[in-house]
Formats: sequence, C-alpha cells, structure tokens
Amino acid sequence: MSLEISGLRVAVEEKEILRGIDLVVEPGKVHALMGPNGSGKSTLAFSMSGHPNYHVLAGSVKLDGEELIGLPPDKRAKAGLFLSFQYPAAIPGVSVANFIRTARMAVNPDDLPPAKFRKMIFEQLDVLDMDPAFLSRYVNDGFSGGEKKRLEMLQLAMLCPKYAVLDETDSGLDVDALQSVGRSVNALRATEAGAKTAFLIITHYPRILAYIPADVVHIMMDGRIVKTGGPELANQIEREGYDKIRDEVASSVA
Amino acid sequence: MRSRAALPSITAPPTSHAPLPFAPTAETLEAAIAYIGQAGAASGSAVTAAERRGAFAAYGSLPVPGGFPGRSWRYNYAKLPFEDLRWSSGRQSVATIPFGALSASADPDADAPALATENAGGLVHFGATLLEPPGPTAADKRVIVTSLAAARRDHAALLAPVIDTIVQPGDDRFAALATAFQNCGAFVYVPDGVVVDAPIQLLFVNGEADAAAVFPHIVLVLGAGARATVLERHAGGGDAFICGVVEAHVGPGAQLDVVTVQRADVEARVFMRRGARCERDATMRWHLAELGGALARSVVTTTLADTGARGEAAALFFTGATQHVELTVHTEHAVGQTTSNTVVRSAATDHGQGRFFGNIAIRKQSHGSDASLRDDVLLLSKAAHIDSIPALEIAANDVKAFHGATVGSVDEEQLFYARSRGIGRADALRMIALGFFEPVISRFPGERLRDEIRTALDDKIDAATEID
Ligand SMILES: Nc1ncnc2c1ncn2[C@@H]1O[C@H](COP(=O)(O)OP(=O)(O)O)[C@@H](O)[C@H]1O
Ligand SMILES: [Mg+2]
Repeated sequence: MSLEISGLRVAVEEKEILRGIDLVVEPGKVHALMGPNGSGKSTLAFSMSGHPNYHVLAGSVKLDGEELIGLPPDKRAKAGLFLSFQYPAAIPGVSVANFIRTARMAVNPDDLPPAKFRKMIFEQLDVLDMDPAFLSRYVNDGFSGGEKKRLEMLQLAMLCPKYAVLDETDSGLDVDALQSVGRSVNALRATEAGAKTAFLIITHYPRILAYIPADVVHIMMDGRIVKTGGPELANQIEREGYDKIRDEVASSVA
Repeated sequence: MRSRAALPSITAPPTSHAPLPFAPTAETLEAAIAYIGQAGAASGSAVTAAERRGAFAAYGSLPVPGGFPGRSWRYNYAKLPFEDLRWSSGRQSVATIPFGALSASADPDADAPALATENAGGLVHFGATLLEPPGPTAADKRVIVTSLAAARRDHAALLAPVIDTIVQPGDDRFAALATAFQNCGAFVYVPDGVVVDAPIQLLFVNGEADAAAVFPHIVLVLGAGARATVLERHAGGGDAFICGVVEAHVGPGAQLDVVTVQRADVEARVFMRRGARCERDATMRWHLAELGGALARSVVTTTLADTGARGEAAALFFTGATQHVELTVHTEHAVGQTTSNTVVRSAATDHGQGRFFGNIAIRKQSHGSDASLRDDVLLLSKAAHIDSIPALEIAANDVKAFHGATVGSVDEEQLFYARSRGIGRADALRMIALGFFEPVISRFPGERLRDEIRTALDDKIDAATEID
C-alpha cells in the first residue's frame, strides 16, 4: 500500500519538465516537496491527477498497486487521489454544496445519506472557520485567495482521500487562514479514515510544516528530486535558501 | 438518465366547424374569414375581415427576414413548409381551467407542475381552441383575464388604445401573418394600484396528433402603480405552427413581469413578436426561456417612453439536435433618464444553431440613460453554432452604455477541476453547462419555475448525442 511514483518524465508543450521522478508515499505519512519556483512541483501534481496538457513520456504512478497513468482524472480521484490546487478554477452557477455533494457521491457512492452529509459539512465548516453561507456561493467564483484555499480544504475533508497532494495551499494565506488549514488537516488526520491519509505537501516555505509536521522532505530542482531528508531539511532551506543546495547538487554531479 | 415523459394524450376538443387546411395564401385567408363569419361569436376572432386582408397584404409586401452573412441557416423564412397544418378558431366548455394539462410535460417524478397550483387565474388554449371554465378566470374580481375576442366585445374602451399600437401588423412579416390569421388570444387588465401576487397564466397546449396553426394575440394592460406577473407558456406535442403577438402596456409606476416558457414539441415552429411600452417610472421585466420547437423566432422590443422607465430582459435558449432559435432583444430609450438591462445566455449542442440580436437604441434627447447588454454563448459540440450580433445606436451624450459578450466552449480548467474531484466527464459537463445558465435562471420568479427550467435544460443535455 503506497503511492509510488517511478521514473516519471513529463512534457508540457513538447518541453520536458519532469525528468525522472521517483517518490514513494506511504499511508498516514506526510511528505513535503519543496523547491524553487518553476522547478516542476505543480507539474508533478497535475501529472499525477491527469491534467490533459501534461504528457507522460515515461514512468508510472501507482496508487496501492493501481496504475494511474492513462486513467482519466475522475478515475484517479475515485481511486483515492486528491489534489488541492494552487489556483483552483471557478465554476460559476454551481453551488459549493452541490459541487461537494456531487463529488462525494462520485468518489463514495451512497455512503452518506443527505442528513449525515449535512452534519459532516457543517462540522467541517466550523473547523475551517467558514460561514455556512459559503455553501450557496458558486464554486470559487469571486472568492478571495484565502477562501479558495479553505474551500480546497473543505473538499479534502469531505472526500477523505487515501492520498492528498496539497499544492502551495499555504501560499498567500494570512496566519489565521494558515491556522485554519492546519486545524482542518489535523482534524482529518485525527479521524479513523483520515489517519491513513497520506499527504504530499508542496510548498515554497516551511511555515505550513509548523502546523502539519513532515516525516520526509524532498527538494526538487529542474524537474528532479535532488535531495531527500528528514524535517530538518526544511529548516535548512529556510536558513540557507535553495542556492546552497543547488551548489551542493552541482558539485556532486561534477 | 432521467426518464423522459411523454405528454398525456390530450384529445383535441371538438370544434363546431371543421378545421381548414392552413397555408399563408389568399384563398386560405378568405376561407378563414368565411369560417369566422359562420362561427360568429363562437370563434376567437378579434380582427375584422378588412384588418385581416390589410395585414395579409402587408405580409406579402414586407421583406422576408434575412439570412445571415456567411452562415448557413437551415431555415429559409421564405420557404417554410406548411403541409398538414389545420386552422380553426373556437371555444370549448370545460369543468375547470386545466392548468395541469402541462403537468406531464415535465419529469413525472417531480412534484406537481410548477405552475399548476399557484396562479391568479388565466386561460388555457388547446391549439387555437379556448377552454372555457364555468367559473371566473381571474382570482381578483378587479382584474380582467379574458379572451381577446371577448375583450374586443366587452372591454373595447380598455383594449382599443393599446391593441396594434405596441406591436403593429406592419412591424414584420410574421406580425402581419399573426394578424391576418389571428384565431385566439388573451386580454389581461390590471387596474390602477392593483397588485396581483401569483402569476396569471396563459397556456398554449398542443395535442400529440395535432398540427395546429395557432395565431395568438395577447394584450396586457397595467394601470398606474399596478403589479402583475404573466406567464406565457407553450407546450405539448404535435408539429404546431405558432405565430403570435404579445403587447404590453405598463402604466406609470407599474411593474410587469412577463415570463415565457417555450417548450413546444421538437417539431413545432414558434414565431412570437413581443413588445412593451413603459410609461413614467414603469418597470417591464421579460424572462424568456426558449427551449422547444424545431425553429423558434422570438423578437422582444421594449420602449422606454417616459422618464424613470426601466426595461429588463433575461433570456436563455438552448438548441440541440437540429434546432434553430433566433432571438432579438431590442430596447428603445425614447427619452432620457431611462434604464435597461439585458442578460442573455445561450448554448447549443449537436447541430443546434442560434443567433442573438441585441439592440439598444438611445435616441437623441435621451440624456442620462443607462443601458447594459450582456450576452454569453456556450458551444457544446463542434457542429453547434450561435452568432451574437450586438447593435448599439447611441445618439445622445451623457449616457451610460455597456455591452459585453463572450463565445466559447466549456473551459478545460473548469472541467479538469470538477473531474479531479471524481466527477465523470459527462456529469461535469452537465454541471458546468447548467451553471452557465444560472445568471439568467436566477432572474426568473419563483423557485419552482426556476427548477422546472433547470430540469428542462438537464433533459436537453441528456438528449444530446455529442457534448464536449
Ligand atoms: N501549462 C503550462 N504551459 C507551459 N509551461 C508550463 C506549464 N506548466 C508548467 N510549465 C513550465 O514548467 C516549468 C515548471 O513549472 P511548475 O510545475 O509550475 O513549477 P513549480 O510549481 O515548481 O513552480 C516552468 O518552467 C513552467 O514555465
Ligand atoms: Mg506551482
């Protein structure tokens, strides 16, 4: 049981962005994926989720043994993958409640009668410090940055995936919003099902890791994972920036 | 997939006179005039023989509404086929007003038809035959809801100042045809200061087997400060040919909502020309859902005739299969300090086609006017096509005029976002497409009506063979 990425090479518009990614995430674990802008973190997230613009040249992504490459995005979600978008799309005219209900029914048909669904979503709104009026707003339509990220976390909680990829969920958030996000993830992890959820937290800054401590930290540069270590690696990045690691990697290659 | 209900088998009420084969010819016109002469007061005629002949002459001389530069439009208005159509005009007694006649046109699992229960009276026509209940047709005694023929006889003083002044038989070929062959209609009068809460319903139903030629003329008059909602519905089976006129006079400070739900049979053709004239501080709101028919041509004109007048139009259409819909919304700012707001959403799938003409005219002296026109088009298949043609004619200074338009297919990022949540492609497209119409649907009055429109759109998405 794991999410296993091996030898993944991905091109966008003919340009190879991911140049061989190997990564294994086990249930219940938190992995951080850090790296400078443009290093390919979002590309990895989109490729795993099956975005049509990302062309897999080689490699595989296996979720508990099931090959995801080649599956449409909805089948990957049904298999247990969730992506919290860096820039979530707005869907005007579709209410948050309707959207989440439809999604929940799709990934987990018939398991939650409407009353239970209601109860659960209201609890999650509370954890995230969100007004119930949110439910009748249109998905991400006119949402502030913080509201969008909260909505991603609300969906995460309601869908309770096996593997969650959080793409810069922390960026652009103020401290309150960041705390809400942390609370929400930790509340999920405190549930029986959520305890098995594994996280791949893509971030630029280690500050989100203060709320959701990572077991493993990976550094990505130019489409490769160049270094993997424990939580201390995140702090090293904060102190020294990416340049030092870049130099290290360059010299080790040389 | 939702189960798609067939219409109840409404059998056509017997008419005392055998229906005529219909074609837009001088011979048919004379036969119709003779028919009315024989039927007398039993017919629904509200037009004199001379007026009919005059209108028919206009029909012959008016230009055929144009084709479309650079586009293939499957329908040539000069060559509409008129095979098998039947023209008649009459009345039929019924025990109660059968508003429920439309119930089965919606989802059978749904609740009672959206408007079967809440109403402030109204009329039901089966083809061109008026179904006449023994009781009153208006819930409020001060309000008049009657056939146009009866109004011409009994309420001439109220009708005469309005009829043929807002939409004139010479306005276009189809308005002329509607007058020449008028065979049914309605008159609604709401006196000064009277507020009618529930909708007054004007239903036009066609039976499964009928190919009726229906020429309704509807006149709505609201006195000063009056308020009302009129629901005009077209539904039912049969390859009907409907060609009619709606005229609304909105008195000073009055507010009129006209809701049109066109869910005619897939083989039907529907040509309606609607017009409103708004007096000082009056508000006219059009809500149009053009969902049915093989071909629908809908023209809506609002004249803001005095200061403070406001005209709003919220319209949607969705063409599937080989449907064509042509919609024109024209707003005339005849004087200054008038406001208009037009919002149109349209979508097409399969080989559906459509075109939208959005016209705003702000006349020379109309300073301080404020006009806004917004239309968005969603194309759901490669062969689907919708043209959007705005025309802003602004002759005054110191006005606010906004126009915005988009044409596009479903946004890939929206689709991916929904699919990344486990929602299958078809359901995601349905969700996004329905959401697209929401800004217009939300302007329709009443949640049941809004739900009915959502369900009707949903059914059309189900029926589509190609959506992408
Ligand atoms: N949709 C796209 N179209 C074109 N280039 C892209 C696209 N997505 C990513 N790229 C390119 O791929 C590289 C990696 O981008 P990205 O994965 O977004 O990095 P990160 O998330 O680490 O900041 C960048 O050079 C970026 O310009
Ligand atoms: Mg990124």
